[in-house]
Amino acid sequence: MTTDQQSKVNGVKHRHRTEGPQRHIVVFVFSIVLTLIAFAAVAAGGVNPTFTVVLLLIMAVLQVFLQMGFWMHLKDKGHLLPIIFMLGGFFIAGTCIIMALYWVWWD
Amino acid sequence: MTTAHAEAANGTLPHEPERATAEGRNKVLAFWLFLGGEAVLFGTLFATFLALRNQTNDGPSANELFHLPLVAAATFILLVSSLTSVFAIQAMHRNNIAQLRNWLILTVLLGLGFLGLEIYEFSEYVRHEEFGMTTSAFSSAFYTLVGFHGAHVAFGIAWISLLIGQLSYKGLTVVTAPKIYVSAMYWHFIDVVWVFIFTVVYLLGKVG
Repeated sequence: MTTDQQSKVNGVKHRHRTEGPQRHIVVFVFSIVLTLIAFAAVAAGGVNPTFTVVLLLIMAVLQVFLQMGFWMHLKDKGHLLPIIFMLGGFFIAGTCIIMALYWVWWD
Repeated sequence: MTTAHAEAANGTLPHEPERATAEGRNKVLAFWLFLGGEAVLFGTLFATFLALRNQTNDGPSANELFHLPLVAAATFILLVSSLTSVFAIQAMHRNNIAQLRNWLILTVLLGLGFLGLEIYEFSEYVRHEEFGMTTSAFSSAFYTLVGFHGAHVAFGIAWISLLIGQLSYKGLTVVTAPKIYVSAMYWHFIDVVWVFIFTVVYLLGKVG
């Protein structure tokens, strides 16, 4: 147990020394900018609605990628299973959403 | 308590205490599975909302109802709280219990601010806009989806508050660290769900 812990300490310390608050503040600033673009696009109005919808969805997906990648550490090594779990969840969620939309648009 | 504090002060606590034991690693992994399930849960609520969002039954529509400044304020508060919970985990990795506690308290306070705004928003809709749970299919879908997210925020506030309490009498150990780490994952996930809510419910509601 002790040796296991020790090696973990050494292995992990090295990787995490480089991680300061800076990159998280960068992610935060990017999130704010993406949010502002989305709100501004809607507040401005007048633009082609289809374009606005696509823009909004892209901004949301980008922000989710940023936050899950950096804040929830999915981009780090050893996160294969968590990524599979989340992709599985999003896949089923997406299927439900497509099903519901298709159902409503049917007639 | 003394041993735990001494451990942290001596630096004998591992750098990532949440991953120091098999139990801790399993807890984190299992929590990812839970979050995958949560994604499915919210996915079904989003699907219901998207299907019913134009069925206003002569009640208020999304475009008439929503005020973007309030939503922007709520979004900003929740985004900042996600950042403060990142800082909490970084303080935990430095074994700095005082900073960890302060960041967690700040996270809880911001969560309370968000919840307060949401309660204000809902009560305005019910009292002044005659937009209740049973007004229309749109209103039912709206309150179920956004309310479910709000309930998650409320649960997170209670959970993190209890962990702050536990931290003060058990200290930071390989037992308490995974709990704090997992609660931060939960909090980030709540913020991720909110990104989709403010996009799909509020902004798309304004676009039409």
